[in-house]
Amino acid sequence: MASIIKVSNLNYCYPDGTIGLNDVSFEVKEGETLVIIGANGTGKSTLFLNLIGILEGSGNIEVMGLALNKNNLKNIRKIMGMVFQSPDEQLFCPTVMDDVTFGPLNLGWNNDLVTKASEKALELVGLEGFGTRTSYHLSFGEKKRAAIATVLSMEPRILLLDEPTSGLDPRSTSMFINILYTLKSQGKTLLIVTHDLFLTQEVADRVLVFSEEKKPVAIGNYNEILNNYDLLLRNNLVHQHRHRHDEVIHEHEHRHGYIHKH
Amino acid sequence: MKFTESILERLDPRTKIISFLLIILCLILFPVKSVKDYGLFFLLILVIALLSRVTPKQILKKLILLIPFILFITMLIPFFKEGHTYWSIKIGKLELDIAYEGIQTFIKIFIKSSLSILLIVIASFTITFSDFLKGLEMLHFPRLLVMLMSFMYRYIFVLLDEAKRLMRARSIRYFGSRYIEQFKIIGYIIGILFIRTFERAEKIYSAMITRGFNGEVPCIKCFKFSYFDILFLSSIIIFLMFIVSGLFHKMGYLNINNPNIWQAL
Ligand SMILES: Nc1ncnc2c1ncn2[C@@H]1O[C@H](COP(=O)(O)OP(=O)(O)OP(=O)(O)O)[C@@H](O)[C@H]1O
Ligand SMILES: [Mg+2]
Repeated sequence: MASIIKVSNLNYCYPDGTIGLNDVSFEVKEGETLVIIGANGTGKSTLFLNLIGILEGSGNIEVMGLALNKNNLKNIRKIMGMVFQSPDEQLFCPTVMDDVTFGPLNLGWNNDLVTKASEKALELVGLEGFGTRTSYHLSFGEKKRAAIATVLSMEPRILLLDEPTSGLDPRSTSMFINILYTLKSQGKTLLIVTHDLFLTQEVADRVLVFSEEKKPVAIGNYNEILNNYDLLLRNNLVHQHRHRHDEVIHEHEHRHGYIHKH
Repeated sequence: MKFTESILERLDPRTKIISFLLIILCLILFPVKSVKDYGLFFLLILVIALLSRVTPKQILKKLILLIPFILFITMLIPFFKEGHTYWSIKIGKLELDIAYEGIQTFIKIFIKSSLSILLIVIASFTITFSDFLKGLEMLHFPRLLVMLMSFMYRYIFVLLDEAKRLMRARSIRYFGSRYIEQFKIIGYIIGILFIRTFERAEKIYSAMITRGFNGEVPCIKCFKFSYFDILFLSSIIIFLMFIVSGLFHKMGYLNINNPNIWQAL
């Protein structure tokens, strides 16, 4: 399938001199779910901010054949939606419904269309009837889901999700994975940043690993990557795990979401 | 807080904003010719309270919080108004005169502001803040102002929570010594809050522009004026015109009541 996102030689440096991204190149295929993993501070969020055109680095980014520049920015943001890491920043309107309708109204859709799309988005994340609620009074998990609905209502073809399951309990996480399955079945292209290897294993088609050098070191099928223990260890995604069974000290990889045999 | 739908709640927020604003403006701007006019305003507010079906207890609870503020502000008036001395206090060398006119003004302003606050308290029970903002926007209030209020309403609690968390983090590691240094720490906390707010604003702005924000806040117009709105608004206006023009004075039948009762008020 054709590439929907093409990033080549992307560099970004924060104003204070911190290197954010270091020569990043990769491609994303239409309809696939690419999970981006990497230790803290390896530039994953910086990459997303570059993709959506908030930060401007050097290098080339192409989305559906359109080069990311001032002229195309609006069109690209119509195709690509981003959910920020913290829901308090994503939900800035007095009520949930105001927030969910914010995007489509800005796109200039008519009211019927906006209402329909917003209700559909709320239903998809399981928040029917939350429209009139105040965002501040939602639980964290509900906030996270509402934040996704605010982007889904714009019906983007590509979704960037920055740590969507951080801070969620197991039940909310599995509910969230179901939402992702629905989105996948709708043919949307998903880019997900996460530290959750369990989530990765559940939803990823391909996995991209970011290294401490702030660039991708590996990209590949999720089986390939998740079973490459050396690669994960080298990039601080797993750590050695020691514990005792009676008299024997036993050392093995520590991977969340994996149950091991003794 | 959930209330059963009262008549007032079913009104368009715009109707409520306009009519409450009109009442308050009339109350504040027009000279009150006699004590009876206060009674009439009170009557009007009483009717609105009945329509809103808010319980007296709910109203009193909020009113009690607000009255001290009014008292505090108005209390100084008698000392500054000049006129016939009614009462003078000597504190050491300081001599304070309280003028007769001062007391009159004090009572007038106190009653006026209490009535206004009473109305605002009732209003706050019948309009949710987000409806209030939407109403303002549809009345073509300056958009910047409405947006500012909306952001304040959305983030003031987030900010307070953050301040609380920072203070808590300080207090669990503070065992009560070095008083002077505590001011420095509190300075840090205020600084951190400021920086966080600033950075959060930047992130919120990013979240807004990625969703197509270009300076305008379009909204779905979900409010409609009904016959009932027109009826409510026009009856308020007519009643206010009656009070302001002093028509009730001229109508004999209202004067039949013992005027002493009114004066005693
Ligand atoms: N506003 C900023 N100013 C300066 N440096 C920053 C800023 N934001 C991030 N950085 C730096 O850029 C690098 C990449 O940060 P980024 O937020 O992209 O990491 P991340 O991979 O998303 O990490 P995490 O998993 O913790 O979210 C880090 O070294 C970080 O310190
Ligand atoms: Mg991040």
